[in-house]
Amino acid sequence: MGRGWRPVLVGGAVVVCVFALAEAQVFAPSQPAAAPTATGDVGRGQTVFRENCAGCHGDAGQGGVGPQLAGSGLDAGQVTSAVQQGRGVMPAGLVSGQEQADVVAFVVSISSPSQ
Amino acid sequence: MLVAGVAERYTDLVTTVFSSPIAMKAWFATAALALAGVQVITAARIYGRVNFLPERGPTVARVHRWSGRLAFVCTLPVFFHCVTILGFQTPDARVAIHSIVGTFLYGVFVAKVLIVRDRSLPSWALPTAGLTLASLLLVLWLTSSLWYFTTVRFGF
Repeated sequence: MGRGWRPVLVGGAVVVCVFALAEAQVFAPSQPAAAPTATGDVGRGQTVFRENCAGCHGDAGQGGVGPQLAGSGLDAGQVTSAVQQGRGVMPAGLVSGQEQADVVAFVVSISSPSQ
Repeated sequence: MLVAGVAERYTDLVTTVFSSPIAMKAWFATAALALAGVQVITAARIYGRVNFLPERGPTVARVHRWSGRLAFVCTLPVFFHCVTILGFQTPDARVAIHSIVGTFLYGVFVAKVLIVRDRSLPSWALPTAGLTLASLLLVLWLTSSLWYFTTVRFGF
């Protein structure tokens, strides 16, 4: 085999390594240990929601590109898990820290089936 | 999941500057794409394909090399989050294309670096590898940063 194939072979080996690393997800976040309660601020969460989530879920969580959240019955644990792990086309970690707590509180507040 | 807590610490670190890891990645990928554009333009100047740059000498070559190095550095935090935390995913066409193309990025990068150092290869090999690499970066940007800026938010 000619020397000219070396870049292709080494590059191919790198592709295989990257794919294996991606499949392993070595640093994927751990699952929440228990369903947390919504401890964030609903008002601030609404602002965070409009900035980061409304593009897909609608301003009031009525749905759009993403699923409807209003009246969906999601609890804090499910919302936290979706934000941290991602779900479907939604990437993980769109918000984090206090913003995550706030947006979880807001989503839980609109998720009540009675809303 | 092999190592617990790394993703959380990474997020804490990133959010000292950006609103989220996704926002960080969108901007770093944008920087990498802009630098890739500099790479393409300076390479075209080196090959004599464009004439609007002031000279064809060492300055253009230096700009070409450093823009490439900086572009590579800009991809590293994105690579870390995409590959080691999110992993290979195919929930829809956008994410599937992003995952597949992203898997090839560093392979093509390594091939291009090897081609640069091998003067025995045909003259078309290097521009082909360089344009392929720039094209992959463009597709990755279109399927991630552009989606983020237009669908989620345009901000840090």
